[in-house]
Parts: sequence; structure tokens; C-alpha cells
Amino acid sequence: MAFWFYRGLRRGIVTTRYPKGELDPWTRHLPTAPAFHPDRLTPELAQRLAVGCPAGAITTDGRELVVDLGRCTACGRCLELAGDAAAPSGESLLAAVERSDLIKRIPVAGR
Amino acid sequence: MTHALAGLVIAAAACWLAAAIVALGAARPAGVRASALVSALGGVAAAVGGVLLAIHGAGTTLQLGAGPAGAAHFRIAPLAAPFIVLLGAVAAANGLYAPRYHEPARGTSVYLIVYNLALLSSLAVLVAGNVVAFLVAWESMALTCYLLILRHHTRPGVARGAFLFIALSEIGFVLIVLAFAILADHTGTLDLATIAHRAHTVPAGWRTAAYLLALVGFGFKAGLVPLHIWLPAAHPVAPADGSAFLSGLIVKLGIYGIVLFGYVLLAGGPAWWGLVTMAAGAISAVLGILYALMERDLKRFLAFSTIENIGIIVTAIGAGMTFTAYRQPAIGAFLLIVALYHSLNHGVYKTLLFQEAGVIEHAAGTRDLDRLGGLIHRLPRTAVIFLIGALALAALPPLNGFVSEWMLFQGLFQGFRIASHTAGILIVVAGAIIALTGGLAINAAVRVYGIPFLGMPRSRPAADAREPGQPTGGPALLAAGCVFLGIGAPLVLTALDRVARATTGLDIHSELLVPKLTVIPAHTNFSGFSPTYLAVFLVAVSAVPLLIWFAGRPRARSRRTPVWDGGILAFKPRMQYTATTHANPIRVTFEALYQPHVHVERVSDDPAGRSGPVHYRFEVTPIFERYLYQPATWLIRKLANLARPIQNGDVNLYLLYLFVVVLIAYAVYTS
Amino acid sequence: MTDPNTELEQVSSELRRQTLSIFGRSLHIRTVDTGSCAACESEIRLLAAPHYDLHRLGFFFTPAPRHADLLMVTGPAVRAADNLLLKAFEATPDPKAVIAVGACALGGVYTEDELVHGAVDRVLPVDVYVPGCPPSPLALLQGLLVAVDRLQSRVAALSLELDGGAPR
Repeated sequence: MAFWFYRGLRRGIVTTRYPKGELDPWTRHLPTAPAFHPDRLTPELAQRLAVGCPAGAITTDGRELVVDLGRCTACGRCLELAGDAAAPSGESLLAAVERSDLIKRIPVAGR
Repeated sequence: MTHALAGLVIAAAACWLAAAIVALGAARPAGVRASALVSALGGVAAAVGGVLLAIHGAGTTLQLGAGPAGAAHFRIAPLAAPFIVLLGAVAAANGLYAPRYHEPARGTSVYLIVYNLALLSSLAVLVAGNVVAFLVAWESMALTCYLLILRHHTRPGVARGAFLFIALSEIGFVLIVLAFAILADHTGTLDLATIAHRAHTVPAGWRTAAYLLALVGFGFKAGLVPLHIWLPAAHPVAPADGSAFLSGLIVKLGIYGIVLFGYVLLAGGPAWWGLVTMAAGAISAVLGILYALMERDLKRFLAFSTIENIGIIVTAIGAGMTFTAYRQPAIGAFLLIVALYHSLNHGVYKTLLFQEAGVIEHAAGTRDLDRLGGLIHRLPRTAVIFLIGALALAALPPLNGFVSEWMLFQGLFQGFRIASHTAGILIVVAGAIIALTGGLAINAAVRVYGIPFLGMPRSRPAADAREPGQPTGGPALLAAGCVFLGIGAPLVLTALDRVARATTGLDIHSELLVPKLTVIPAHTNFSGFSPTYLAVFLVAVSAVPLLIWFAGRPRARSRRTPVWDGGILAFKPRMQYTATTHANPIRVTFEALYQPHVHVERVSDDPAGRSGPVHYRFEVTPIFERYLYQPATWLIRKLANLARPIQNGDVNLYLLYLFVVVLIAYAVYTS
Repeated sequence: MTDPNTELEQVSSELRRQTLSIFGRSLHIRTVDTGSCAACESEIRLLAAPHYDLHRLGFFFTPAPRHADLLMVTGPAVRAADNLLLKAFEATPDPKAVIAVGACALGGVYTEDELVHGAVDRVLPVDVYVPGCPPSPLALLQGLLVAVDRLQSRVAALSLELDGGAPR
């Protein structure tokens, strides 16, 4: 009993301070949904990304890339396929009240 | 008054004789109804007579001509009053019950004749004033009960049950005859009242012999352990009103015999008589309820419950005798009152439960608790009446079972007033055993009510049960009786006090009931309790949840949804507890007593788990049959085989016997 | 003259806020699994651990829907769990909220066919969506706080364009 008490005193409080204060640093390294450079996105790349997403989170109509954050499982396949056109967004706190808030459109500007 | 008493008793007897004659026409519905009506009228006459006898407090005698050895001498004594009331109540209830229960047939005709003659014989036993009258009436009662058990003699188990009944009844009868013979021989008379007067002239050793013979002999009829094995065999196989009569009244005749010998004919004895009786009672009580909990058959359960309650009554009798022997006669008289009161209470509610068991058997087609269920929706009035009976069985206030068991505990707890430490400790141990019995009885009552009535039907016949056409009048009358005997306890105890005063010569009215309807256990500074006020209080306090509900009703619009069940698709009857599983904790705890044999059969040994049905069967080891009765019968057979050569069928040998006997007789006569 | 749709939305969101503010500082959560892989359940279970400790925020888990204010639903709403989900929803007294947790519950991974609905909001009205596969306990905490209106949802303002474009 005393052992755990002193151990706790030594280690300090391990509970996260969220929602007050800074987010824990490790959350930045979690797998997250992709973010894109619109000018490096080509329609062909967009098409390959839409086909390659196993969760069906990415769709495209040639002019826009539509990413459904709700469906994304952060598997990273689109990041591999897109190369330097995409990078992890780093956002893991994505709670939404409206379902439509989770659907993001990125213009396919590149050629 | 004495003329009224005699008149009522004669009227009851005449009614039952008439009912037996009318029952000759019971092959038709009108015949059944007429016989039952006359029988019920006889019951009313007997009940009224019994009540008058108790209130009057003094008996009367009735001489109906001089039979052999004065056999037609009857004495209506106050001690018999509670039993006569019980007989009347049982007869009246059965009379209301019979028309809708029995099918008009020739078998019914024979049954009703025999049943009414059994009622008549029981009345004769209770008012016999003479040893011969008593014994003749006793044997008639045994024989007529044997015949009424055999109503459905072609069904399995009936013949065995009836045989066990008559066999053990006869063994007991031999012992009773011996007991009476000892007393009659030493007091020189066959008249019961005179025997009671001259009891003190019997030497102590013979008195002990007479009492022990009576205890065992009447114990066979009452159903004390280990003399009880006929009860669970015979009571379930008789028709429902016959079982009710057997459990409600006949076993009480055994009690009447024990009380007759203990309190009247021998007028008390050394304390160890009481301790032995109390021990026998306590053991019967706890073993009775433990075996009852293992039963799936509703009527076998009720039969074992009868054994339990007989144990409680005999404990009260034994403890009363102990207290009286240790110079606490007030508590002794109190415990006699408890024994009589509990006999009456148990008779009423057990009759009710057996009648309802008959209704259930006819409506649902089975007595197996594991095949019943959901009867509260299909037999609503039966459910209410059975609930009252089950609550009385569990000894819950404010019903009659509670009052008599409370009084028993209060009597037993006063063991500290006894000078002898050993006796005091034994009384406390008996109290602890009865307390265990009470707890198990509550478990048993929950099981016997909850499994058949609540939940969902566990079989098709139970789901198809219907109420119209089932008898409800008789059970309803008894349920009202249970309520009255509980709430009206002050009235009943006033009457029983007069009975005790006539029997023991001690008036404890002021130490039994104080003003304001409170019952006290023979001492004003010990405890007190008022069943009447408790009943009023319970009704009043049930207004509290109503008030809470009314005040706390949601003012906003509320939504009703089904009870949360874990989200399962549907309840299946097989998901419920069964009677066997409900009693499982008891079975595991008392495994050393039951020594169950468990058979588990699997259809296949598929390790994937879907091996098909698994059959689980367990049997309780019948230790009394195996270790007591079977060795005894084996020994008797062996001895009988030894005597076989004497009866070898050779006529010449028999002629030789005759010749030798004549020679001996000649020699004796001429010397 | 304001657009009646907008007015309706404003009224309903105000009503929602008032309803959820009834929960005050204490809330009971009942989790319902409609066929998930239990990764979301593992993360939910961690919420009670000392590291995240949802009790300090006033949230508690309860097994009985009758005592729950909030249903946390995981899994792709398998059709076999319809009965369960609807019964749990009916059994939860109003006011209540429903949180759909995980990519499966939001429509990803499984498409609608004869075995699954695919998304929880095809069966129940969902109040808060928490994406992730599985969402980390912090994401779950954010979802809970958004559900009781103690935090505003910020995902509408999130942009997935790395060159600083406005979210669309």
C-alpha cells in the first residue's frame, strides 16, 4: 500500500490535462487523415487515390478531391500513393455535430 | 349447551353417513353434487360444534347403547375441539370442491362413499370415550383411507402408496393397542376418563413404556421421521381432495393421539419424555423441509411439507411437556396451545394447497413443477388463492402460519427459565433447528409459487390451462379461513386457552392475551405482538408507496417502453429457472444428506460443443428406505422363511398339530 | 427576412444546446457494440484508466440504458444487431444523445448490403460523430465534451489543404 503511494508521489500526476492546457505531445505522431497540396494533385493521381482507398473515404469527379474524414481509417495508403502531394494532417480530434462537416473538398489544381 | 354439542356431533355424523348413502348415486353429476352438499353440511355442523365445544370449555358424554365392552361410549372432550373444527372445515371445503373436481363415475361413487365413512370414522376417533371405541374407529379410519387412496388404482404408484399407508398404519396400530393395553391393564378400566383419573397408579416403568409406544405408534400416523415414508408415497397419488383430507386431518389424528397420551391419559411425565418428543419433532421438521425442496412433483412437495409442519407441532408438544416437567406450567400450557393452533392452521392451509394442486393438475395436465409456468395469467383466481396458501406455508405475517410459528419461537426462547442447563441447551438447539426450517420454508414457498405461476409456461399443456370449470369455492373458503385465523388470532386463542385449561387445569388467559389484542407468551415481560394490529398496520402502510407514486408521478409527458432485457430477440421458456435449479444451492449445501446420484448423458462427444441435448438426471438417495426399512423387511422375510417348514401344506402334519394341541389342552384342563 | 431554414436550424440548435445543458456536469454513458472489431471498445475502456480518467470530467459508464444519458455506438450497425440497438435506444430515457464512434459507425470500411447497414445514422439519429480507427481516447473525450456542449466542434474549420487554403 505504501509502495504505491510513494511511487505515485515520485512519478507525479500522469493524468492528462485535456481539455485544459496543451495536448499531449504524442498525439502529433498518431496516424491521421491526409492533407494535400492542391497544386501537386493531378486528375490521374486523384483517380488513383479514389480507387486505392480501402475505406471509400476518397472520391473524385476530376475537378475536386472529396475526402470523407468520417470514413478515413488512417491506413496511410493514400500517403504512399500520393508521394509528396500529401502529408499527414496531424489532426486526430475530429468530433463533429454535422456529418457534412467531415466532408472536405480539395481542388485538383495540378496538371 | 351440552345438548347442543351432542346434537351437533350427532348431526355431523348423520350427515356424513347420509352423504355416503347418497354417494351411491354418484355415477351421475346430480349424485356427486348431492353427496358433496350433504358432506359439506356435515362439515359445517362439526365446525360449529367444535367452536362451541372450545368456547364452552367443558365436554359431555354420549352413550349410544352398550356395545361390546362398552364400545359405544363417546366423550366429547375439549381437547378434541380444535381437531373437530378442522375436520369440519376440511369436510366443508372438500364438499364445495368435489362437484367440479370429480368426474361422475362408478369409481367416484365408491370413492365418495369411502371418503364420507372416513370422515365419520375420524369424528369417532375424536369423540371416542372408550379404548375399544377408539381402536375400532381408528382402524375404520385407516381402512377407509386406504380405500380412498386407491381411487385411481390402475395408475402407477397408487398401489404402492396405498400399501405403504396401510402397512405402516397397521404397525402403528399394533403399538397403539399395546400402549392402551398397558394402561387399561394397570388401571383396570377401558374408559378413557377413568384411565386419566387413575393414571398416577401406573408404575413409572410402565408409564414410560406406554408413552413411548404411543409416541411411535401415533408417530407412524402423524408422519414423524423416520416413520414417515408412507406420506410422500400415498398423499400424492390420492385424488386432490383425498390428499387434502389425508394431509389436513388424518396426520392430525396422530397428533391428537400423542397429545391424548402425553397430557390426558398419562398427565405428564419426566422431562426426558418431552425432550425426546421435541428432538423427534425438530428432526422431522428440518428433514421434512429439506426433502421437500428437492421435489419436482407438486403434491410430493406438499407431502414433505406436511412432515415438516408435523415436526413443528410435535416440537411444540415436546417442549411444552419439558417446561411443565421443569415447573414452568404456564409455558407448558402455552406450548400446548401453540401445538393445537398450528395443527389447525396447517390443516387449513395444507388442505387449500392440495386442493389447488388438484386444480393445477386438471387444468395444466401435470404436477411436475418443471413443466408448469405462467399460470398466473391462465388461472388468475387460483393464483390469488394459492398465493395466500403459499404465504401461510412460508409463515409470513399477518397470516395464520406466522402467528403460530411466532408463538412457538417465543415459547422456545424462554428455555432460560428452566433450571437444568442441559434441557435449556436442548431447547435452544431445537429452536435453532426450527428457525432453519422456517428459513427453508420461505425458500420452498417462493419456489412452489414462483415456478408454476410466474414466468412463462414451460410446456404446451401448461400454456393451454384454462380456469373456467375449475373449483374455486372450496379453496376460497379455506383462504378466508387462513386470513381469519391469522388476523383473528385473539379470538382463536381465547377459545384455545379454554381448551388448554380444560386439559391441563391451568388458566393462562391473562398471560396469553393482554388488552388491546396483543398476544404474549405466558409472561408479560418477555415479548408481545398483535396480529390484528399488524394486519391493520400492513394495510395502512401499503398506502405509503401509493402516496409516493402519486406524488412522484412524472408531470412531463412520459414514454412507456418494455423492460430492458439486454436486447435479446425474445424470451424463451427454457431461459427461466426451473424448480430443480432454484433448489440447487440447497442441494449443494446439504449434499451430505441427500447423497444425490447424478447421471449425465450426452448424445455425442462432439468437442465443438454442439453435441446435441445433454440429459441431466439426479436422484436423492432415500436413506430411510435403504438403511432402515429394507434391512427390517429383509430380516422379517428371513424369519418368516425360518417358520415356513411349519406350514408346508401337508394335511397329515396339520392333523398331528391338532392332536398334540388337544392332548395339551386336556392335560392343562384336568390338572 | 431570414431564410426560414436558417431560422429553423437556429431554433433547433438552441433547443439542442438547452437540452444538453440539462446534463450539467455529470453524464452516464452506455456503450453499444453493433458488430465492431473491439478496437474502439479498447480505446473506450482506456477512458476509465488513470491516464485519461473520464470520471474527473463527470462522465460515468453504466450498463443499464435506463440509467444512461448518452449512447456510445460502435460498429457498422450489423442488421442482426438492429433489435438490440433499437431496444437500447428506446430504453434510454429522454433527453439523450447518441455518439457514433469509429470509422465503421460513420460509414467507412463496410458498405451497405444485406448483412450490414454500414453506418449507425441509417438506424438511429446521431448527435455527434467521432471519426478514427480507432479514435484515440483524447478524441473520444473531445467527442463527449462536444456532445454536452462544453467544447465547440472545430472540425468544420479544419482544412485539408497544406498550402493554407480555406476549408471547403
